[in-house]
Amino acid sequence: MELKTTVDIDEENSVARVALAGALNTDTAPDFETRLQEVVGQGHELTVLDMKELDYISSAGLRVIFKAAKQTKQGGKRLAAANRKPHIDKVFEILKALPDMAVFANDQELDDYLDTMQSRVRDA
Amino acid sequence: MATSITSRLIGLLTLVSALIIGVSMLIDYRLSRDEILERLRIQSQDTIQAAIIDMESWLGSVEGSTRFLARILEQRQYSRSGLEQMLKDIVANSEDIFGAAIALNPEQVDSPLGFAPYYFRKDGILNYADLAGESHNYQQQAWYLDALRASKPVWVEPYFDRGGGEVLMTTFAVPVYRSASEGRRELYAVVTADVALADLQAYLQRLHLGDSGFGILLSREGIILSSPDSDNLMRHYSELESNALDIATWREMFRSVLAGREVSRQLQCPQLPGECAIRLGTLQSTGWPVGVIYSESEILAPLREFQIKTVVVGLTTLLLMALAVFLVTSRITRPLSSLALASDKIARGVMDVPLPSARGNDEVARLVRSFHAMNKDLKTYIAELEAATASRSRLEGELAAARQIQMSLLPGSGEASDEAQDYSLWATVRPAKSVGGDLYSYHRSGDTLYLAVGDVSDKGVPAALFMARASGLLQQLMIVEADPASAMQKLNDALEAGNENCMFLTLFFGVIDMRSGLLRFASAGHNAPALLRGGTASRLQQSDGPALGLAAGLQFPSNQVQLVEGDRIAIYTDGIDEAFDAQARMFGDDRLLDCLAQTGALAVAVAGPEILQAVERHAGEQQQSDDITLMLLQLTPRESATQTAQTVTRENFTLGESLVTRAQEWLEQTLHRLRVTPDLQLELSLVTEEILTNIEKYSGLPSGAQVSLSLVSTADALALETRDKGIAFNPLTDSHRSPLGADIESAEIGGLGVHLITQFTDQQTYRRFEGSNILRVTKVLHSDQA
Repeated sequence: MELKTTVDIDEENSVARVALAGALNTDTAPDFETRLQEVVGQGHELTVLDMKELDYISSAGLRVIFKAAKQTKQGGKRLAAANRKPHIDKVFEILKALPDMAVFANDQELDDYLDTMQSRVRDA
Repeated sequence: MATSITSRLIGLLTLVSALIIGVSMLIDYRLSRDEILERLRIQSQDTIQAAIIDMESWLGSVEGSTRFLARILEQRQYSRSGLEQMLKDIVANSEDIFGAAIALNPEQVDSPLGFAPYYFRKDGILNYADLAGESHNYQQQAWYLDALRASKPVWVEPYFDRGGGEVLMTTFAVPVYRSASEGRRELYAVVTADVALADLQAYLQRLHLGDSGFGILLSREGIILSSPDSDNLMRHYSELESNALDIATWREMFRSVLAGREVSRQLQCPQLPGECAIRLGTLQSTGWPVGVIYSESEILAPLREFQIKTVVVGLTTLLLMALAVFLVTSRITRPLSSLALASDKIARGVMDVPLPSARGNDEVARLVRSFHAMNKDLKTYIAELEAATASRSRLEGELAAARQIQMSLLPGSGEASDEAQDYSLWATVRPAKSVGGDLYSYHRSGDTLYLAVGDVSDKGVPAALFMARASGLLQQLMIVEADPASAMQKLNDALEAGNENCMFLTLFFGVIDMRSGLLRFASAGHNAPALLRGGTASRLQQSDGPALGLAAGLQFPSNQVQLVEGDRIAIYTDGIDEAFDAQARMFGDDRLLDCLAQTGALAVAVAGPEILQAVERHAGEQQQSDDITLMLLQLTPRESATQTAQTVTRENFTLGESLVTRAQEWLEQTLHRLRVTPDLQLELSLVTEEILTNIEKYSGLPSGAQVSLSLVSTADALALETRDKGIAFNPLTDSHRSPLGADIESAEIGGLGVHLITQFTDQQTYRRFEGSNILRVTKVLHSDQA
């Protein structure tokens, strides 16, 4: 079981999109953690975990996401999850994990959110 | 150091002795001080007294001589030369007198100047002076006038005798009266004797106390007759330049003294810094105030010396004592400190420490000797213990290996699970010790199914060896012998041979014709199996023979029973019904029948463990007393054959890299074969990962250790069982759970796995058995899932 991570940074809006593909388990979690820590360390306003292609997640993966969520919150930034598959959703559900983590059901919702963010920045 | 016996002893002893010595020295000092003070007082008193007495006697003799002369003149008449001669004699013979004069009343003499011869001693030579000269005539002199005025003997105030002795002097003048005609008393002459102040000074010098103390002598009018400072002579005390005492005090003292009292005062020392004292009294004879001024500190010098000596002696004593205490105490307690140090080292595991030598027979020596002995014994015990432990672990290792070998003698390596179209079977052996004497066997050949369950007498290694022999023979027989009774016979003969230890085996041997369902069986002293039919469990009837291996050439009765589809039989050894609890109550056949009935709906591979768990629960804390064997056989109804598929698939994995991935791959394949839905596959995959992660984290097993995964699939459930030989750890209760739904701040990173396990499965059981953690999670299947 493999995990492929792609990072896409939008400097202008300070948004980082981390796309996961495959399985996030104890074997693949360590590398993913390094990657995610890197991105979070850059201090973007919003870091989005795009789970469209994520087929599997276990407690090891959740741990990594938890940690990242804590860090972004401490830094006053946000971490969000998008496009979760149903059984991934179920896992988050069961653990009632991260109630204050933003969740976007699909790309449309994410885009709308980004638009509002941008307009807020423009008007500020 | 502050807490060592030595320093405590020294400290306490020194303190106590310091106290005792201090108090006794203080008392001694006090008493001695009083004595010394008293002595000093007496001493000074004596000194003063002696000087005064001398002075008194001297002045007294002066007075006496003068009075005597006066008396003579009173009575006798002398001529002028006669008077002169008498005077000369007196002065010559009297060392005490400086000079003497006889001054006649000028009326007695026809010369207006009068007649007054005066003899005095100067430089040892007798001199003559005529006081009736023109200048300094005696009739104007104070001594003459004072005597006249006083009309009685009187000491005259000191003066400088000009025209006479030419020295400072004081005079004792005695007027002489004769009775004249008509009974009148008329003055005849004044007789005098002089005392030079210089001579007085000599006497006074003996009146000193201390190095700077000195005496003073004053006239009745307050003129200083004698003082160490010659400038002060002849001056009135009010003219004293020193500011030692003010005039008022002097006057007051003077008055008191003249009144006859002794006075003493403190004053500033005239010549030295510091406090002085003055003591004034009067000379009895002359009435002159005489006194002594002395420095108290000088006088008390001996006392101070004494004080210092006392302190020095005290301190030295104390120091010496502390030293002595220190030396003695250290010597005595040194062995103790060495012992304490040595025992510290021994406690840490350093066995070869040098111990102090024991001298004498006191408690410390006895302690040291005991310590020596204990140390030696300890070393011996530890060596023996290490040897014993080493040999025990060797043995344990061998036993563990033996167990594996023994288990591998049995089908399924100790836990067999088999399913076919027409039956499902499950069997297991649980030895009481590392190795045991129970066995089971089964073999399918065409339409015939052979079953056997046996129990060797006793348990442990001997039973295991016999069991191995019996098991081998049995498996051979199963292949060739179709008739249970004759198989039993052959087996008995084979086992009897070479059985010197008289071990025996109880055995159940059954043969089922799968087409007809007829079960033929023979029993050699073995408890009859139980049959569950239509929800009711009961024991089968059997006629059995004796146990195998004891006597050759025995016959065994044959039994048979007709089985139908759906029947479930349980063949077991007495380890089950004879499992005792803490109150020595057996599990019993009836309870077994109950369990059998209750688990009837479950697949044999699930029911079996359930029944054994019930036995375990009954036994509770009690150790397993006998080997336990259970075999469940179910004749499956032909129609539902395709539906009921009970499989147990097992695989071993080594801990280490990508364990989860490997395990999940295996699981995927197995589940796929079992036609399990992808969703369920994912869930079970996740559960497997969480279980394995827990094992990796908490078992304490090294990389490379084995973990076994079994998947038991039945019509209505999927069970996943993991076994590991790590430290006792029940993930269901022992792992750290973090609160669900907590916000990011309080979410503990970790402890989520167990939630996932419990949420994605319906049933979870854990047991610890013979050094293994066994976790079994079951997911009940709904009709759409498999």
